[in-house]
Amino acid sequence: MKIAIIGGGPGGYTAAIRAAQLNAEVTLIEKEQVGGTCLNKGCIPTKVLLHTSGEYQAAKKFESCGIKIKGIELDWAETQRRKTEIVNKQVKGVENLLINNRVVRINGEGSFLNKNQLKVKEIDGSETIVDFDYAIIASGSKPVIIPIPGVELPGVITSDEALNLTEIPSSMVIIGGGVIGSEFAEVFSAVGCKVTIIEMLPNIIANMDQDVVSTLVFKFENSGVDIHTDTKVVSISKSEEGLIVNTQSDGKEQSFSAGKVLLSIGRKPVTDNLALENAGVATNRGAVAVNKNMQTNVPNIYAIGDATAGVMLAHAASSEGIVAVESIMNLKPNIDFNTIPYCVYTKPELAGVGLTEEQARQKGYDVKVGLFPMSINGKAMIEGERQGLVKYVTDNATGEILGLHISGPTATELIVEGALALRLEATIDEITSTIHAHPTVAEALHEAAHAVHNNAIHMPI
Amino acid sequence: MAEFIVMPKMGLTMTKGLLTNWRKKEGDTVNKGDILFDVETDKITNKIEAKTSGVLRKILVDKDTVNILVPVAIIGTADEDISELLEQAAGTVEKAAPQKEEAQKQEAAPAQERKPGERVKISPRAKKTADELNVDFNLVTGTGPGGAITEDDIRKFAERHKTKVSPMAAVVAGQLGVETDNIEKDTRIMKADVVKYKLDENLAKYADPQEYRLPMSNMRKIIAERMLESVQTSPSVSFNIKVDTTGMKQLREELKDTFKVSYTDILVKIVSQVLLEYPMLNSTINGDEIITRNYVNMGVAVALPAGLLVPVVRYSNVKGLKDISKEIKDLGERAKTNNLMPDELSGGTFTISNLGMFGIESFTPIINQPEVAILGVNAINKEPVIINDEVVVKPMMNLSLTADHRVVDGAVAAEFLARLKEYIEKPGLLLL
Repeated sequence: MKIAIIGGGPGGYTAAIRAAQLNAEVTLIEKEQVGGTCLNKGCIPTKVLLHTSGEYQAAKKFESCGIKIKGIELDWAETQRRKTEIVNKQVKGVENLLINNRVVRINGEGSFLNKNQLKVKEIDGSETIVDFDYAIIASGSKPVIIPIPGVELPGVITSDEALNLTEIPSSMVIIGGGVIGSEFAEVFSAVGCKVTIIEMLPNIIANMDQDVVSTLVFKFENSGVDIHTDTKVVSISKSEEGLIVNTQSDGKEQSFSAGKVLLSIGRKPVTDNLALENAGVATNRGAVAVNKNMQTNVPNIYAIGDATAGVMLAHAASSEGIVAVESIMNLKPNIDFNTIPYCVYTKPELAGVGLTEEQARQKGYDVKVGLFPMSINGKAMIEGERQGLVKYVTDNATGEILGLHISGPTATELIVEGALALRLEATIDEITSTIHAHPTVAEALHEAAHAVHNNAIHMPI
Repeated sequence: MAEFIVMPKMGLTMTKGLLTNWRKKEGDTVNKGDILFDVETDKITNKIEAKTSGVLRKILVDKDTVNILVPVAIIGTADEDISELLEQAAGTVEKAAPQKEEAQKQEAAPAQERKPGERVKISPRAKKTADELNVDFNLVTGTGPGGAITEDDIRKFAERHKTKVSPMAAVVAGQLGVETDNIEKDTRIMKADVVKYKLDENLAKYADPQEYRLPMSNMRKIIAERMLESVQTSPSVSFNIKVDTTGMKQLREELKDTFKVSYTDILVKIVSQVLLEYPMLNSTINGDEIITRNYVNMGVAVALPAGLLVPVVRYSNVKGLKDISKEIKDLGERAKTNNLMPDELSGGTFTISNLGMFGIESFTPIINQPEVAILGVNAINKEPVIINDEVVVKPMMNLSLTADHRVVDGAVAAEFLARLKEYIEKPGLLLL
């Protein structure tokens, strides 16, 4: 069984290793470093920067914990160096995994010749033909550039460039207050950059439960980040200090000047150079169309991750990679895609899984929520991160857990309780009857679960 | 003197009959000519009359299929000794239904079904295991000697029924009144499984599916037997041809005031004529021989609520249209009132089956053995027809011929149909 995989991101390399575990002959085609957007231009490097910005903020508060440090300084160049080092270490790690699993790697750009052959243009200019029984398209995505006047001006950047800024800009307008925009707002506002977020929708991070998002909005507003929602960007122009972003909101025009403008309105699949037409693979607005087993209209060609424009998250792509490989190998893939957690690594961290309260209501559930504020959780208080809340969304008729939404310290770690609860179809009673350790932030989850029945012990009435 | 009443032989081909109804009870006085019982044979029900007077002493066959000339009852005087006859009957009453069938029926019965209160065979060790594993051994199917439950059966049963249930599935099952034990699944039972089980259950409840089992009537049995025999005997080919019925309609109109004839009548007349030109379609295969004829006995299929009868118009080739018409009407009426004689249902050499009145436009009738061909007659519909490059509306009819390729080659069947078409379109040819 010969499987060719186009793209070495978290979808592609996971698929490659899983296929190798199942004794397939795997060829992985990647034109850059393995690890894809996630490792090189996304999850990992942003988290390195967020760690620095977070620690920098925390260091300023050391005194309140009884630590006196003088002359706290931010060394951005060192931050960038550390980022590169971590990325490279992780890339190396993935490379070794691929080698250990005897995955053949070709460094080049793949395109389909037909249903059973790929042509790979290697970095050194040579061409290789790869024969395959099955192919998995894991070509990923790239930032969307909106076609507005001035978008081509120097200083208008995407997340790709924002990660590699050698200097902290004095000001930045972030167009698009989604997860990516919000994380960059967190990084740069924490290190002394004046940040303005322009969001077209009524809320930032619109796909998450607005109760948890509101705690981040509160934090942003109190740390000097300007948020303009319901606001549309009309054009970008040049000024003496840098750039001017011209916007429109409810008929009113407003301009924001900034050193840098970050475009973070979303990402789109990269499928243009794959010559999909040679294999007859159908696409839908640039995204490869797949069924629930990640199979395209061509039976021996699968597609996973951002290339399919589904849930554009690394962990979704990896899971899809496993589903694709196990389908190819005639196993029964068993992954519940209702359990995909969404995480935002700001301070407070945001995390959610399952239905938001609004989604649950729209679906017609008789919704009952249990809320518990992080401010009265002992451990959060000790950690000095009292912003946030926990919210269990349940169905009143059955007690079924429909969603869990957390903001606060380690929210992105704690969300697994909700994911597991969803996977096991737990009711809220399974959470209330489970002992949560004390003192932990996780106790807030226990209390939120009790709060569904108004039984939270530590809730001030 | 006491004597047997036997299953009568009512036709040359009759080998057995189904006694369906006794009109007299044991001990009744019977006069010669009284109707004793009913026999279904060869598709029709016959009333059997007493040939002698006396007392009906003993009914030997109640309702059953028996071979001809087998005793079904004893008639004699009121106080006569019939023990000798009884003894004789015990040896001779030979049921047509072989006993083997009964034996098979018993074998096919499900082995695991126990009657309530029936003792369950289980080894003491298996019983102990059942206790330990909390298994109700009454629900376990035994695979040991004589259907005894073994320890292994208990363990396997417990394993099979160990399925886990998600908390939500349990809640939903409680709310919907579903017993999760009834859900067959190897992996964890989830909410969706419970909901699906309930929906299936509701559907079944709403649909309230019922099946009814009734013994086949003799007529149905014979139809089934003959149809099966026919398709197994004849490699048949079906042919269709479209004919313009303007001429035939006109003929019918012209005769209307003198004598009303049906399309079937006209077709019987025409087909009988044409068959003489194509004797292969009017033939019978007998071993290595082909029997051809200089006459036509035309079977005309008659649909009855209980099944299909094909009374025969004898020597239809020499009969005039009026005679044919009268005879078909008479046969049809008597078929409907169950007054046909067995011989009126046999001896056909070709069959016509008309489904036109139901709007049927084409079908593939099954040959009535031992004939070799059957003509299906379809509905007459007005259709656009192109004549001299002009679209003209004509009353068109499709004829569907099924023929046995052993004797009727395609070309012969085609020629026959072409000739039929010619006659139907120009019925004046009948006068030649």
